[in-house]
Amino acid sequence: MTLVEIQHQLYNIANSGDPVFADFASQINDIVEQAKAGQMTPQDTAEILRDAQRQLVILDSMNALAFKETLNTCITGLIMIAGAV
Amino acid sequence: MKQLALLLVPLLSSCAIYDAVTMTGFDPNEYRIITEIRVDANHYKDACANPLLAQVNAVAMARKTDLFEAYSEQIPNNADGYKASTSLNEIAQGLAKRYDTPPVSPLFCKLKYSSIENSARVIQHTIGNRPR
Repeated sequence: MTLVEIQHQLYNIANSGDPVFADFASQINDIVEQAKAGQMTPQDTAEILRDAQRQLVILDSMNALAFKETLNTCITGLIMIAGAV
Repeated sequence: MKQLALLLVPLLSSCAIYDAVTMTGFDPNEYRIITEIRVDANHYKDACANPLLAQVNAVAMARKTDLFEAYSEQIPNNADGYKASTSLNEIAQGLAKRYDTPPVSPLFCKLKYSSIENSARVIQHTIGNRPR
């Protein structure tokens, strides 16, 4: 995949309207533009992009945790209902 | 209603129920540390143009994310939280390590702190919603 194709993909995600990933893709595209303009070394750019991957891991872990929190609230509610009737 | 409740519970997978019921509750210490990381990242971003101060801040941030990871590690039933804390610590360690080979561009420093701040906000939001 060429840089142009990658940026096109990022552009599509940035304009997808997704509440989380649209902004994320836009920030990554900004980083790529800054790298192209020579504002950062290739090594620093690679490190910042690795950080973007780490942020995806964090989002994924926290989504899983949020799901469990919701499920826990539901189960607690069901237990209360079952106990009250 | 009781029958409805008893009917709904088996519909969920037993693993999901076990994970949800045994999940760790709200921990004020954990919440405090992640809030400090978020606020520090926001303030340290402004000092990126000062190389000496920025290095001191980067080391302080790396120590705090290290503390957060070590704290999360031993909390029972906290695999997701520990995974997130490890990734957050990797981001901060990368910044501190970068100061071993100066010069460090202020833009790199600011982008690193933005990553830390954004990640800390996501973690803070989720662990703040844990059952109390």
